Amino acid sequence: MSNSYGGGGGGGYSRTSYGAGGAEDGGGFMYGGSQGGSQSAGKGYSDESLRPVTIKQIIDAHQAYPEAPFRIDDIEVSQVTFVGMVRAISPQTTNTTFKLDDGTGMLEVKQWLDVDKQDDSKPSFALDQYVRVWGRLKSFNNNRHVGAHVIKPVTDFNEVNYHLLEATYVHLFFTKGAPGAAGGDAGGDGDSMFVDGGYGGGADGGGASEDKLRNISAKGKKFYHWLFNANGGNEGLNVHVISQGTGMSIQDVLAASEELISPGLIYTTVDDDTFAILDN
Amino acid sequence: MDPVSTPRISGQLIDSYVGRNVMVVGKVLQLRGDTAVIDSEGQITANLNREAHLVSGNGVQIIGKVLPDLSIKVMNSIDLGTNVDYAVSQTVVELTHQYKDLFMFPDDTRMN
Repeated sequence: MSNSYGGGGGGGYSRTSYGAGGAEDGGGFMYGGSQGGSQSAGKGYSDESLRPVTIKQIIDAHQAYPEAPFRIDDIEVSQVTFVGMVRAISPQTTNTTFKLDDGTGMLEVKQWLDVDKQDDSKPSFALDQYVRVWGRLKSFNNNRHVGAHVIKPVTDFNEVNYHLLEATYVHLFFTKGAPGAAGGDAGGDGDSMFVDGGYGGGADGGGASEDKLRNISAKGKKFYHWLFNANGGNEGLNVHVISQGTGMSIQDVLAASEELISPGLIYTTVDDDTFAILDN
Repeated sequence: MDPVSTPRISGQLIDSYVGRNVMVVGKVLQLRGDTAVIDSEGQITANLNREAHLVSGNGVQIIGKVLPDLSIKVMNSIDLGTNVDYAVSQTVVELTHQYKDLFMFPDDTRMN
């Protein structure tokens, strides 16, 4: 019995299943594509990953221009999940509009009616009941709402608190990096005093591929991951292309590039404004 | 849409929220007519509305206004049953105040 598990090389079991596909690619959580290299430039699935949020985060999400993708913590986001109490239900001809309140804010959620399905099965919700929504962030005539794929009642109140913790966790993941990657707030921007200190010593487990980015700021990571997926080849990509692709300002891109050059993660190619990933 | 929050607080924090609408999760200790005593890191007196259906010993979530005497005028309450992890609730209260950006719109009447 124990042979069948133990014989297989112990911990290797779970590690291969993750590590093999992920390659250098951020471990799959934020940059969902496991085959980073094969994706066409800048059109990853990262913005399609489902993010747990508070309603206030949705209200605060900004768009660079009308119709632009929403960003939370400067990360593109479209699919979200959140909880809230039902404060209003108004049936329309094409959809049912709910007003949900999670204590952080109030938001409209629309559930479109499926004309093909004669739905008697549609669950109805009571006022003030907690529900969980999975849906897509939308803006229509400057009126922000979520188009719900699924709305389900929350049957265990602890899920509400759990969700708020998870939303906080993901927020911190994006703003301060993965746990273990930074000892507290220490992972400051461009701390290039310890050029080699960042990687190599990564003994505390957790995505080895992230190790070399451990001292890099969120913007630097974004730059690196985008460039990695963009397939710029040996010639690299110009700062303007990177700025467009990542949605970061030129200034941010240049700051991030300096941060990535000093530890040798990227290098300049044809001129000082063109960067490529330094493979190792 | 509506930039209004009802911050999650506990008995420890209630005195800095006088005049504001807040949310409290706690355990019903006492039920007497239209007032209830709720334990949430300290005891809070809640003045109930007609619709309130609290059960002594159960968890409850109330939303209401903090009055000057530090009681809460309840506008909305939900009975949470017995399966409530109060420790997690208190963690959420702490996070609410640690990461206000995620949980709380600033209030006009008072800062902080």
